[in-house]
Amino acid sequence: MIELDLALQRGEFSLELALQSSARALALFGPSGCGKTSTLLAIAGLLRPEHGRIAINNHLLFDSRAGVDLAAARRDLGVVFQDARLFPHLTVRENLRYGMPRDATAQTFDGVVQLLQLSALLKRRPGQLSGGQIRRVAIGRALLRQPHALLLDEPLANLHREARVEVLEHLRGLKREFALTTILVSHQPDEVIALADQVARIEDGRLVALEDAHAFEVSSFVPPGGAHAAGAPG
Amino acid sequence: MNLLTHAETVALALSFKVSLVGVVCSLPVASGCAWLLARKHFFGKPLFEGLLLLPLILPPVVTGYVLLIVFGHHGAIGRWLDAAGLSIAFRWTGAALAAAVMAFPLLVVALRNAFESVDRRLENAAATLGAGPWRIFFSVTLPLSLRGLVAGLALAFARAFGEFGATITFVSSIPGQTRTLPIALYELISTPGGEGGALRLTLVAVTVALLAGLIAALMLLRGGTREAEA
Amino acid sequence: MRRIQRLAACAMIVAACAPASAMAAATPPTIFAAASLEPALDQMAHDGALGSPAPRLVYAASSALARQIENGAPADIFISADERWMDDAARHGAIVPSTRNDLLGNALVLIAPVGSHATVDLAQGTRALLDALGRDGRLAIALPDSVPAGVYARQSLLHLGMWSALEPRMAMSRDVRAALNLVVLRQCPLGIVYRSDAVSEPRVKVLATFPDASHKPIVYPAAIIEGHDNATTRALLAALESAKARDVFGHWGFTTPKATAVRQ
Repeated sequence: MIELDLALQRGEFSLELALQSSARALALFGPSGCGKTSTLLAIAGLLRPEHGRIAINNHLLFDSRAGVDLAAARRDLGVVFQDARLFPHLTVRENLRYGMPRDATAQTFDGVVQLLQLSALLKRRPGQLSGGQIRRVAIGRALLRQPHALLLDEPLANLHREARVEVLEHLRGLKREFALTTILVSHQPDEVIALADQVARIEDGRLVALEDAHAFEVSSFVPPGGAHAAGAPG
Repeated sequence: MNLLTHAETVALALSFKVSLVGVVCSLPVASGCAWLLARKHFFGKPLFEGLLLLPLILPPVVTGYVLLIVFGHHGAIGRWLDAAGLSIAFRWTGAALAAAVMAFPLLVVALRNAFESVDRRLENAAATLGAGPWRIFFSVTLPLSLRGLVAGLALAFARAFGEFGATITFVSSIPGQTRTLPIALYELISTPGGEGGALRLTLVAVTVALLAGLIAALMLLRGGTREAEA
Repeated sequence: MRRIQRLAACAMIVAACAPASAMAAATPPTIFAAASLEPALDQMAHDGALGSPAPRLVYAASSALARQIENGAPADIFISADERWMDDAARHGAIVPSTRNDLLGNALVLIAPVGSHATVDLAQGTRALLDALGRDGRLAIALPDSVPAGVYARQSLLHLGMWSALEPRMAMSRDVRAALNLVVLRQCPLGIVYRSDAVSEPRVKVLATFPDASHKPIVYPAAIIEGHDNATTRALLAALESAKARDVFGHWGFTTPKATAVRQ
């Protein structure tokens, strides 16, 4: 259960969002600049909303009225940033293990590594990886935190075609394997369709629609060969 | 062949000891201050910054005098040190404190720049992975600012090594305890006929300063920290 | 146009040739004086005993002053706390030798903070001083290689056979007033300074006076700086040598030197 009720102000830009979703995977969909990433950062605890309430799976993360504002480190979320943010001075293995809980087993580690096909990369540094590889490591790192929910910010952005296909496949596999509550931010319909169960459309800082993935697919235009800009005649 | 007289060698060794200990011991405090300046906003921050720069702006003799009345015998802090048998008055530890205080602003400024050059987004990512502020500092901020840190240490060491006014005012000149190289140099140029020794010590001091500058330049020129990959 | 230019050029040349004394009258004369003379000279300048406008007074260790003068510092008169540094200045041709004169004398004393209960009889030897120093205490003196007060102190202690026992217990300062200050601040239980320093400082007391015979005579030679020999400077030197000045100096603990012969 994802409960988002928040108001954000950043300079001239303002966003107000209120929704409840019992979907396993929720997508926040909208054009660039509509506030999707800021929403994600607010859920992660890196941005403070003006007021509101954020709860995921009955974990209360933020409640301005009750004075609750958990630090990012305590929110127990796995965040995959659009710019990956791998630690450049650590190896892939060290990056992956960074957020792992103390009681995590070697099996868990190996499982994720296998799923994302990272075994050959473990000893390398982020500087030696390709775009797609970096993205996969970032996903693995977030997963290995064993969070109760996963936040993905434009997971396929800035990847060339092969990498997009590769990462998308892995994400689908993860969805099948882990069934983790996921909030996904994107401006590309194909990502959304492939990964989300429910879609929240955001435009100009407002929620304009909350629909399930099928309905979304119908109402959005997906040109053959991959998507570019968002949205479509509703 | 001895390049330096025994007294000069003693002064040189003492300077190394005093400067190293001074700078290394002030590193934790300087790091804390630098981190606060780089990452936090708080009431009175400009005043705090100004206070940290004081040893740079005050005449060294004034700083030495303040150290004397605070850490000397009967001083506000000195009396407790004396009672505990840890007196630093007229001892090399006092010289180390004088050197550390004079080099402190330089160290803080260098460390602050080094910390600020670390991408905050990486620190934020570490936070989302469950790391608290201390872990973030030691596992992300510090390793990525290491070059700037070493450069700052080299510069602070050079400053500490050359420290004169505050040292001689606070702990006087005591061969083997507080007569550091700059003080020995001063004594030589103050003595008729001491020019030869003064020149030798000057050459030593210049060499140390050049080495420190070289280290700093190497650290800073090789591109500082590596930014986060995409 | 050309006429004005020529006039202007003439005016500039005349101005450049103006006698030095006319220039000197515009700025007050400068005395470089050993640190220990500070209270006495300040008082005299304040009271107008040194002429008007009052001279600029620069105090430092004699060694520093001599070096500066030798390198062209803009002083008119130099008063050194020992002959060594005046000799050094003379060797460098920095003074006018015919104007050199022994202006003052002084004595060397052992001091303690005013509240101290120590008593020292120099005739009893080193033991008394070591007892007064206690376990950790240090003897404050000026640098014995370079500062005159320190040089005299070493001469005395060597003469009395106390130097080797006391040397490891010393804290050596940049100049004699810094050594005095250490005793004032109770950082050191004992110090060796000039009697003039002790007289001017109520927070210390004199425990003993080092015999005149134990060190070279403490004289303060004064001389006019080479290139600054003019009416104003000569008048200032005369003011320093006057009976009125001697009174003031005496009040501050200085003595009149036995030999006042002019040196070459």
